[in-house]
Amino acid sequence: MPDLPAVAIERLSKSFNGIEVLRDVDLTVNRGEVVSILGSSGSGKSTLLRCINWLEQPDRGAIRIGGQRIGVDDNGRRMPARELAALRAKTGMVFQSFNLWPHLTVLHNVTEAPIHVKGVAKKEAVRTARELLDKVGMAHKMEAYPYTLSGGQKQRVAIARALAMSPEVILFDEPTSALDPELVGEVLGVMKDLSAEGYTMVVVTHEMEFARAVSDQVVFLDKGIIIERAAPEQFFTAPETERVRKFLELKQ
Amino acid sequence: MNAQTWWLLLEGAWTTAWISGVAIAIGVVAGLAIALVRMARIPVIDQVLVIYISLARATPLVTLVLFIFLVAPTFGIVMNRNIAGIMALTLNTAAFNAEIWRAAFLSFSREQKEAALACGMTNGVIFRRIMLPQMFTTSLPGLVNEMSFLIKGSPAIAVIGIVDLTRVTNRISAVTYEPLPPILAAAALYMIIISMLLKLQDMAEKKANRLTM
Amino acid sequence: MTEWDIIWAARDDFLYGFANTLVIFALSALLAFVLGCVIVYLLEGPKSGPRTLLRWLINIMRTLPFLILAYLLYYGLPTLGVRLDAWTAGVGALIVYHGAYFAELLRGARVVLPGGTVEAARAYGFTTFTMFMRIILPQLLIRTRPLIGNQLVICLKDTAFLTIITVQELTAAANSVQSTYFIPLEAFVVVIALYWLISICLEVTIKQLGRFGKKRGFEHA
Ligand SMILES: Nc1ncnc2c1ncn2[C@@H]1O[C@H](COP(=O)(O)OP(=O)(O)OP(=O)(O)O)[C@@H](O)[C@H]1O
Ligand SMILES: [Mg+2]
Repeated sequence: MPDLPAVAIERLSKSFNGIEVLRDVDLTVNRGEVVSILGSSGSGKSTLLRCINWLEQPDRGAIRIGGQRIGVDDNGRRMPARELAALRAKTGMVFQSFNLWPHLTVLHNVTEAPIHVKGVAKKEAVRTARELLDKVGMAHKMEAYPYTLSGGQKQRVAIARALAMSPEVILFDEPTSALDPELVGEVLGVMKDLSAEGYTMVVVTHEMEFARAVSDQVVFLDKGIIIERAAPEQFFTAPETERVRKFLELKQ
Repeated sequence: MNAQTWWLLLEGAWTTAWISGVAIAIGVVAGLAIALVRMARIPVIDQVLVIYISLARATPLVTLVLFIFLVAPTFGIVMNRNIAGIMALTLNTAAFNAEIWRAAFLSFSREQKEAALACGMTNGVIFRRIMLPQMFTTSLPGLVNEMSFLIKGSPAIAVIGIVDLTRVTNRISAVTYEPLPPILAAAALYMIIISMLLKLQDMAEKKANRLTM
Repeated sequence: MTEWDIIWAARDDFLYGFANTLVIFALSALLAFVLGCVIVYLLEGPKSGPRTLLRWLINIMRTLPFLILAYLLYYGLPTLGVRLDAWTAGVGALIVYHGAYFAELLRGARVVLPGGTVEAARAYGFTTFTMFMRIILPQLLIRTRPLIGNQLVICLKDTAFLTIITVQELTAAANSVQSTYFIPLEAFVVVIALYWLISICLEVTIKQLGRFGKKRGFEHA
């Protein structure tokens, strides 16, 4: 079997109320790769990420997760809800505002989807969850409820929750933007470890150092168009466009 | 349904309206009075009021109406049906209104009071000019809500033979042998009255929300 | 024989009425609650014809007195060839009526439920049903606990209306005892105390359940 890319996006377009937010976006994320999506506010980064797991429905274009088309089939027919859910289960998502389930303990936040979406046995799910919580340094808070955690701790639990689904790809939408500066490091640290372990990740971020150190590919969105894509060294040292140069200057 | 049955129905509606109206009017004022007395925290009286409110909230209107109407004569009081009905509705609604008013008192911010004191206002002036108008605005949605509850509970007075909008449907169908049309017509009339109250509540809520800005 | 002795002698009448009220209340409150949850589940999703209709029906219930609905089922339905006995009509009316109220209060909480937790569930591949049962409904129940408590007390009180359509419940028991022995004061004091007892039990239970939400940090939300 040829090694299909974890995510393949072809000519993706999306508008809101007649305003084009994404235009002909092509993007391939190979297995084990980390792709950072940069761009200024409103450039369509979140929308792109949310199209990947069909939280937003694109107007045109095709998205494949591990080779399987999401949302519609090749004839344009809508995917049945159950199949869509099953495919979504192959992606993990980490949100800017954590979105932990407040009525569940840390442990149950992590086991919830494996048990009730994938049908993993409870014991098995708990075992995996323990390991993952240990990995993100949250094993000691297993029985705590989300409201007792700091932002950084919440986000690390959210990452464990994403990992628990053994996803093909993990989508991060500005995972550190809602955090106090001193808590950013602990989350980025976990994400660095994940990339070293070979997880496939698509990361929308404003953390330039992180993007530079961890990415295999950096993509720059401007008004819904990918105007530059490059390896991080080249992107940060020798950007091709004036737009990116300006952007990087502002981020200094 | 012919003109005569419609006329009967409207008479029933009128009975419901005026009895509820009187109970609402007394109940709103009595509720305020109870809330004020409770704010004073007078021993014994306070406990008595707490028990009254708890009891009134737990007693079904039907039971209360029967209780008042049947018990009064054993004390030698001749009780008119309408008065018994009004008393029961009032006793019930005043308890709920007292809680609404009290919540409005309790939510009155300390800063505002201090600001008023700093301006040299006396407590009496503060109450009349600053607190009461605001309390009215914050309480109004709750009070109106309670009014629609009262009207929805008002058919309880039928149990002692008052021919209200609900009971009149029995009267009409006893003549026409067609119970469905009068019941539906009565339902429509209730819908009109209570929809108006819900609309009013909506408006009152918008106004109250502006106050918290 | 004092009045209280008479009451004691008639205890079986009261007990029968009390038991009947409890059964009617428990059954209809439970089913109404389930109905309310089902309705909110059905309302989940984009606007559509059936959903608008459902919301209309809820709003109609909110503008009707309970007794009118009971009348409709008990006196009105036979016209359409459906003849229910008073007990069934009464319980049916309680379920439909309070089901609509439960639905409305849960819907109110659903509207203001922060979208993030639902979005996360969707992103993790939950189907709508599993998501509703495991992520949405628990949060709605925690958030609406006090309102549910109020509604339960209202439902309890509405059972007394059934005396008007001849159901032999607690208030009817008081009425029949008082008319037989002419002791209205004692008869009604007893049943009012019983209603009070039930509603205090309800309030205590609902308050206890608050710990559930408090432990999860919901009370300051
Ligand atoms: N649901 C929506 N309805 C209408 N417009 C939307 C919606 N979601 C996003 N937009 C618009 O689409 C554009 C792109 O939004 P998007 O959230 O993808 O930007 P972003 O790059 O993630 O920005 P940020 O860095 O601020 O998060 C913005 O102009 C936004 O206002
Ligand atoms: Mg964004």
